[in-house]
Amino acid sequence: MKKHLLLLSCILFFTSCTSVDNRLNIENVEEVSTFASNIENLLSELEFLKLEVLKLNSSKPPIQRILNEADAFWIRGNLDQTNLQLERALRISKNEGPIYLRLAHLRIEQGLNKEAKAFAAKGLLINNLSNWERLLLNVYFQHDNS
Amino acid sequence: MKISLRHFILFSLFLLLIILFAFISLINSKVTNKLDGVLWTVPAKVYSRQMVIAEGIEINKGMMIKELSLHSYIKKSLPKNPGDYSFKNDSLSIFLRGHEDQEAGLFKVNFSKDKVVSIKRSDGIKLDLIQLEPLAIGGMFPSHMEDRLIVNWHQVPESLIEILLSVEDQTFFEHHGLSLKSILRAFYQNVLAMDIKQGGSTVTQQLAKNLFFSSQRSLSRKLQEAIAAILIEFHYSKEEILLAYINDVYLSQAGTRSINGFGLGAEHFFGATLKNLEIDQLSLLVGMLKGPSLYNPRRNPERALSRRNLILDILEQKSIISSSENLEMKEKPLGLVSPKFRSETKYPAFHDLVRIELNENFKDSDLRTQGLRIFTNLDPIIQESLAKSFKKTKIELIKKYGKSLEDLEGAAIVVDSRNGEIRALLGSSSPNSFGFNRALNAVRPVGSLLKPFVYLTALKDYKRYNLSTLLDDTRLTLNLPEGGVWEPNNFDKKFHGIVPLHQALWDSYNIATVRLGLDIGYEDTIKVFNSLGIEKEIPNYPSLFIGSFEMTPIEMIQAYQTIASNGFFTPLRAVREIRGIGNDLAFSYPYKIEQRFRPEPIYLLKFALQQTFVRGTARGFSKKEIKRFQNWGKTGTSNDQRDSWFVGYAGDYLVLIWLGFDDNRESPLTGRSGSFQVWKDFIKSINPIEFKDNRRELARINNEWVDLKDGLLSGQDCKNSISVPFIKGSEPLVTPDARKKCRVKEKIPENSIMDKVRKILEDLTE
Repeated sequence: MKKHLLLLSCILFFTSCTSVDNRLNIENVEEVSTFASNIENLLSELEFLKLEVLKLNSSKPPIQRILNEADAFWIRGNLDQTNLQLERALRISKNEGPIYLRLAHLRIEQGLNKEAKAFAAKGLLINNLSNWERLLLNVYFQHDNS
Repeated sequence: MKISLRHFILFSLFLLLIILFAFISLINSKVTNKLDGVLWTVPAKVYSRQMVIAEGIEINKGMMIKELSLHSYIKKSLPKNPGDYSFKNDSLSIFLRGHEDQEAGLFKVNFSKDKVVSIKRSDGIKLDLIQLEPLAIGGMFPSHMEDRLIVNWHQVPESLIEILLSVEDQTFFEHHGLSLKSILRAFYQNVLAMDIKQGGSTVTQQLAKNLFFSSQRSLSRKLQEAIAAILIEFHYSKEEILLAYINDVYLSQAGTRSINGFGLGAEHFFGATLKNLEIDQLSLLVGMLKGPSLYNPRRNPERALSRRNLILDILEQKSIISSSENLEMKEKPLGLVSPKFRSETKYPAFHDLVRIELNENFKDSDLRTQGLRIFTNLDPIIQESLAKSFKKTKIELIKKYGKSLEDLEGAAIVVDSRNGEIRALLGSSSPNSFGFNRALNAVRPVGSLLKPFVYLTALKDYKRYNLSTLLDDTRLTLNLPEGGVWEPNNFDKKFHGIVPLHQALWDSYNIATVRLGLDIGYEDTIKVFNSLGIEKEIPNYPSLFIGSFEMTPIEMIQAYQTIASNGFFTPLRAVREIRGIGNDLAFSYPYKIEQRFRPEPIYLLKFALQQTFVRGTARGFSKKEIKRFQNWGKTGTSNDQRDSWFVGYAGDYLVLIWLGFDDNRESPLTGRSGSFQVWKDFIKSINPIEFKDNRRELARINNEWVDLKDGLLSGQDCKNSISVPFIKGSEPLVTPDARKKCRVKEKIPENSIMDKVRKILEDLTE
């Protein structure tokens, strides 16, 4: 399964590169291999995954601010307050990949793997996810619960 | 033995000294015991959710204005004072009173239709969001209770200290509990009046008096007070003494509870936190100390106003404010919130639920003493609108069906389907009365409300069933294991022959449903019931499939919530978070979620339940409205019309209504003619903002035109056809010859490469 995902991520990467900028040389092997190794890390290391998730934010300013507050609590290790902020963000805007991704990761840190998977599944039902958000949500959805 | 006079005097003095020492020790232990321990028992307070106005977000403007009025915001042409607002040309100017998470001040919010496009502070600074203060909806107090909201040093505005000390104790930071100057002045005044007219009490003495002694005025009490004041000063810092005083003072009476401390005073009179009060408001509160009843601004507004203005003059004399500021403040009205804003307990039925949730984690004694602040999910406007629709519809029903409906009872629950938060709850037909809470405790036969769960069980098995699978709605006779026969009947007492599955659901046919249930079997059906969130024991007899089973309204809406949230089970929640004194988070009730169903069968079920509005038992909304709110729902009527149910979804709200009699007698009401009418009025009154379907189109769903009667393939141009969703691979395959002409295969647009990749990814997750 992981290999499939890796392969597809590369395809995704290529296709998004070509659609964004035709001048980009898709034979740039070095870039692709870095990307692929990143994906590998991503799939196996939660800390790496968390860093990727925290890089994502909403396009809406109020949600951005609340997510920043949530992240600040998170860095200080205050998971309850982080959760409160994420729920607050979700109440204001229900269709935001970055919120669901954070909730999924937070639940893993709280030892609630089943909920993490459910948040990822719910996030995947959103229509306007970016490809990267969709891929990350899929990783959480596939995350090994054991 | 002869005792000399000298010895006698010495002995007496020694004895007196011992008595005095014992007396002081006694007072000392009183002082330290009280001030070192828990000073006051503070009941927990319950608040509604906060209304948030955020940039880029859609908000229902009508509801927003209603909520402002509930919070005692007053419409003005030019908002100048806390609690004022104006709304013109899609622009809201509001002077917020402020609270812990929101600074007070004037803000301007611009809308474009329902969307907030910008929020600016009066100094032009752009903001992301503003929040209205939460509405206090009650507390956990026993009767005859001192109530207060404890503030800490950081929550006390400096200006309060300045005003308080200017008026009550000018030499506070210099004396050691007593002020000789004040005592002499009072003594002189009292001698002049030949009576005890004036006290020379310092703030410390007043605190000693409030904490330990009665209000009786006598010299011996004065002496004790003075000793206690000196001891307080000896043991505690000036800041500690001031803070204790600020939290302790008596300000007013509200029903059976007394309003103590400036923290609660600020909320009670101005609906704001102490930190956010302005100088004129603080002056009013300080002015009240002289005579809380005499200068009560609600009872004696003119007297309170002149007292406030007198305090403002003192502040000017002390150069705390300038003369122009004084003049400006004197122009201001008292600016009180209406008394109903802070009544003792609003929405008692909702409080029952709050209490149940809290009792899992808190001792009752903690709730009555620890000063906890409980933030709930209640939306006061939704709650008010629900009660209003309930009352209005009941009056209409009495007009239509007669006086027998006068003691008709009911229950209603509103859930935000996005996260399972309970927004409103009614437990009886009189929303302000305490007592039997039908929403939580009335166990009633649920009738057809249970049918969708049977159909969901079928639709999960998509290789066997789809929405156009034909069901048999002809006479059914069942031999019961305990002997005898059972013949289910339809509500219209007719048989409808062979009908497609979705029609059997939207027209709520009993016989077809029983046959379907028996075909699926009890085991699978009961599994689905459990997955939806029904935890009680479920019997396995055939009438189960048509709802002879009994449930409470809250259990029923919990099960429907799993459908509303596309197969994700989420326990319903009334409480959001609990904060202790000083605003620290004490406990929270997080959003829990578990995927119990795949989204596809739920999608099919919702489609069939939407047809209830289009062509079934919930007609009464225009096509435009159905599209706007994405309504779906189900009526339910129990045997002999003893229970009238409706549960339905509109624009993110999931709402359940139950009507019936407590003595379980028959009523003239069906689900449609009773509960649905309440539901309809409620949804139309709140007019939810347009539902934006932002869900991804499910990859495994295909729409096909089928015939309404035979369920086989049809076409858009064919008569009696309907476009129905199918899980891929479950579509009917046959197109009867007669319909081949009118069936034109719709062109499927060519997918882009990205769509293809996405589809592969999606398939991987399945």
